[in-house]
Amino acid sequence: MQSPVSSIGERLRAADARASLTALFESLRPDLLRFAQWLARDRSIAEDIVQEALLRAWRSRDALKEPAAARAWLLTIVRREHARLYERKRLELVCLDEAADIPDHAAATAADSSLLTLRVGIMKLPLEYREPLVMQVLGGFSTEEIARELGLTSTAVLTRLFRARHKLRALCGASGQTA
Amino acid sequence: MICEDARLAIGADPEAAGGELEEHLRGCDACRAFQDEMRSLDADIRRALAEPPDVRSVPARRVTRPWREYALAAGVVLAVAAATLVWLLRPTDSLARDVVAHVRAEPDSWLSTINVSAGSIDHALKSSGVGLDLASDKIVYAQSCWFHGHYVPHLVVQTTQGPVTVLILRHEHVKARDEFREGGMTGVIVPAGDGSIAVLARGRGPVPAIAAELRQEVHWLPEPATH
Repeated sequence: MQSPVSSIGERLRAADARASLTALFESLRPDLLRFAQWLARDRSIAEDIVQEALLRAWRSRDALKEPAAARAWLLTIVRREHARLYERKRLELVCLDEAADIPDHAAATAADSSLLTLRVGIMKLPLEYREPLVMQVLGGFSTEEIARELGLTSTAVLTRLFRARHKLRALCGASGQTA
Repeated sequence: MICEDARLAIGADPEAAGGELEEHLRGCDACRAFQDEMRSLDADIRRALAEPPDVRSVPARRVTRPWREYALAAGVVLAVAAATLVWLLRPTDSLARDVVAHVRAEPDSWLSTINVSAGSIDHALKSSGVGLDLASDKIVYAQSCWFHGHYVPHLVVQTTQGPVTVLILRHEHVKARDEFREGGMTGVIVPAGDGSIAVLARGRGPVPAIAAELRQEVHWLPEPATH
């Protein structure tokens, strides 16, 4: 029979571990939400995605060996959740018009209009370009990691990243921005 | 390493490093300038992504008076009718002009030298209900583009005489072959079943040969549902 003392000790340690992991997940939530919003371009959908991703992550928390790897691990789960939702609901087609619709308050508070142009440009990028760009710049994923995650060759990822920047560069040039 | 490869590497990752790239950059002022420009752009991209995008989560329902809704509906009907009339009466050569304008609007499409994945080609074709039995190793650009109210496959095929652009126009009926030369491009639009195929090259390219080959290989699939 198991000693009640060790049982209580284990439970306390497990409770501490759960609390630490919860705190870690919560500390990363703003990053995850921002990442999801740039993918989904819709705040409420992004919040759903992050909520579902955190639930999935919690269920498979044993797979997370190092707390330092939590950010990349959670971002990957968020991306997959977005991909699942995108497949199910065709979000890209639903949200295109909304993406072009910049609320007035954004224009009013944006000190840098060229930055606003760039933000709109990123929003309007097709998902096949926006996704690897956001993964690279915001998520910090390497080309190889993006390729593995998206099921592409590294060359295809390089091409998409090149084209994404090429389109943004053209946009910035067209709007008179000097980089 | 040639400039084109260097720019692809830098454009994909402005902080890219590597023996060949660095060696090229030491001897190429233009590519070094391109790298500086891309690094500056990347700094702006990071700033742009630092905050979430400014999109409304749910489209706000505006309270409108009934007469405004009727006026809006009537306006939409008139606009659609006018657009339809213009569409029906448009001259046939406007198709060639629009095709050229579309291709000119995507100048980077000519630059690619890397084969597109079979999945991307398949996506570009199937989004428009197009089947094409063309070797995928020839295709270096494949996009599903919005053109004349429909998504159409926009492909660039690499040939021994340079890149050739192809737009497969399921909804554009042409009675006869139409050859054109516009904006520094030569091209042809050929009937293909109920639709047509536009083939363009910068300068002189194997336009007729590619058009003839594609006419044999293209077939129409059930059109996908629009969303």
